[in-house]
Amino acid sequence: MRYVIGYGNELRVEDAFGFDVVSKLDSKDLTNIKILSLYQLTPEIVLDLLDADEVIFIDALYSIENKYAIACSLYEHTKDSLSLTHHISYKVIIHMLNNLYDRFPKYEVYSMLTNNFEKAGDTAKYKKSIDQVVNHLTRKLK
Amino acid sequence: MEELNKKRKIIIDPVTRIEGHAKITIDIDEDGVVDDARIHVTQFRGFEKICEGRLYTEMPAMTSRTCGICPVSHAISSTKACDEILAITPPQAGINIRKIVNLAQILQSHTLNFYHLSAPDFVYGFDAKKEDRNIFKMIQTHPDMAKDGIKLRAFGQEIIETLGGKRIHPDWIVPGGMSHCMTKEQKNKILNQIPQAMEIAKKTIEYFTNNLHKFKKEIDSFATFPSLFMSLVNKKGNLEHYDGLLKFIDADGKVLEENINPSDYKKYIGEAVEKDSFLKSPYYKPFGYETGMYRVGALARLNIAKFCGTSLADEFFEKFKNINNGKPILNSFYYHYARLIEMIYCIEKIEEILNDPLTMNPQIRAHAEVNSTKGVGCSEAPRGTLFHDYVVSKDGIIEKMNLIIATGNNNLAMNAGVKQVAQTFVDGNNITDGALNRVEAVIRCFDPCLSCSTHAMGVVSSKIDIRDTNKNIIRSIIRS
Repeated sequence: MRYVIGYGNELRVEDAFGFDVVSKLDSKDLTNIKILSLYQLTPEIVLDLLDADEVIFIDALYSIENKYAIACSLYEHTKDSLSLTHHISYKVIIHMLNNLYDRFPKYEVYSMLTNNFEKAGDTAKYKKSIDQVVNHLTRKLK
Repeated sequence: MEELNKKRKIIIDPVTRIEGHAKITIDIDEDGVVDDARIHVTQFRGFEKICEGRLYTEMPAMTSRTCGICPVSHAISSTKACDEILAITPPQAGINIRKIVNLAQILQSHTLNFYHLSAPDFVYGFDAKKEDRNIFKMIQTHPDMAKDGIKLRAFGQEIIETLGGKRIHPDWIVPGGMSHCMTKEQKNKILNQIPQAMEIAKKTIEYFTNNLHKFKKEIDSFATFPSLFMSLVNKKGNLEHYDGLLKFIDADGKVLEENINPSDYKKYIGEAVEKDSFLKSPYYKPFGYETGMYRVGALARLNIAKFCGTSLADEFFEKFKNINNGKPILNSFYYHYARLIEMIYCIEKIEEILNDPLTMNPQIRAHAEVNSTKGVGCSEAPRGTLFHDYVVSKDGIIEKMNLIIATGNNNLAMNAGVKQVAQTFVDGNNITDGALNRVEAVIRCFDPCLSCSTHAMGVVSSKIDIRDTNKNIIRSIIRS
């Protein structure tokens, strides 16, 4: 099974990027795909992913440079991999799947760079970034 | 070192393995002795102002955004305040489903604190290498324990999603009751998972109690001092999380005030503001600021309750009460113990309410218009007593709001605890990582939730700046 997980806070402007991408993907004719919209990645998500062969994470990534660029699997950008409160990073999810459940799904991360979490940014560029990821994933997942 | 002859200040910013962001400052005198220590909550929430001018019916959804881990507590207290504005009592089925969702949230929250935030200290010790004190090491050395934590939290989260609509920010808890009733299939699915959840909870409390002897020094010095305690209790004086009346006791167990209608909370609770923190400092009004320091949360609830009211939880409760011969336990380290007993209680109580025939009644919500311009909702959140106090216009527009967040009630005690631990363990001439970890760990005993919903950016790690009397940084230590 392939999973697409869009996560973020809809109330924090462009932090909704993951939400908006998966809601568009949901309307496409994709088979053998499970789509999840989440506010946060939480530890128990791993139990939903035990049958995953592939997981695609989509979120917004804080950056003051290259806004609206799409970063794909740029792990070095995720500096919070060791943090753990009630929400965790995708790296922790993958680490738990590998080391607790002996599951090794392929995974990719698509992140839109932005710092527009408090007020609206460039709506046209935002929509273009959404379409870019949606079109790419539609081709990839069909 | 030259700086040893100067007064210095250690800053731990942010504090790790807690919910939200805070920093700790430790003032060290010329002799290297801790002079003072304080916790500063550096996030600003402002919900009381944001909500002004909005409809009261929006409050359960809006105020839930205060927090990403205990949104159910805010939804419960908020809807109870709205119930008062409507001047109605929800149907029993609506109340019962609210209670189940609330208990599920307490269970998943306590589970997270134990397994993911605090267990590394219990498993490896407070002096273990900092790179070992995290969930990754737990996964490596104690995989079954890590899996248990995931399973138990998933159990609580699944109940919240099933009965509340969503795992985070559930929106089926509404003024007047609930918006969705429970189906037989949902009930049976939850009931079927209870044996496994109980097995894990029992295993956890046994692990903790079997290892308590290793932490005598921490038990004696982690915010161990006399204070007042406050919580809700039911009519029998037993543990209560959803409803009931407020009760205050002192450090000897003497009842200061009881049978307080939560609507009258302002007569008993004062709210002070410190210039160095966004978290307000509530206190027991008759005793005045600081002298009226009280604690809330699991430890306070068990100190005040006569019994839990469920069979297995009461077995553990009896042992817990024996620790101080029936008198209130003053050691904040035992918050961990109290949370584990509450986990057992929550599972038993969820089963009990699920088996109550009234829970399946399709009448789950009462409807009314604005019949009162005031409403106070109070419940026990995982971290303590939570108040939502609304004043509305005749049209139901919020004119004034006051929130006392559970964690805020513990602010004075957390500060006193940080100072006590710093004075016990921190040597200004030889600052060790284990000592600084203990300063953070005393905060984790209270399991504070500092506006989780703020979603602050950056690495969750600690930077400790040592400053001279002119506030110049003379040494920095990075902890992550």
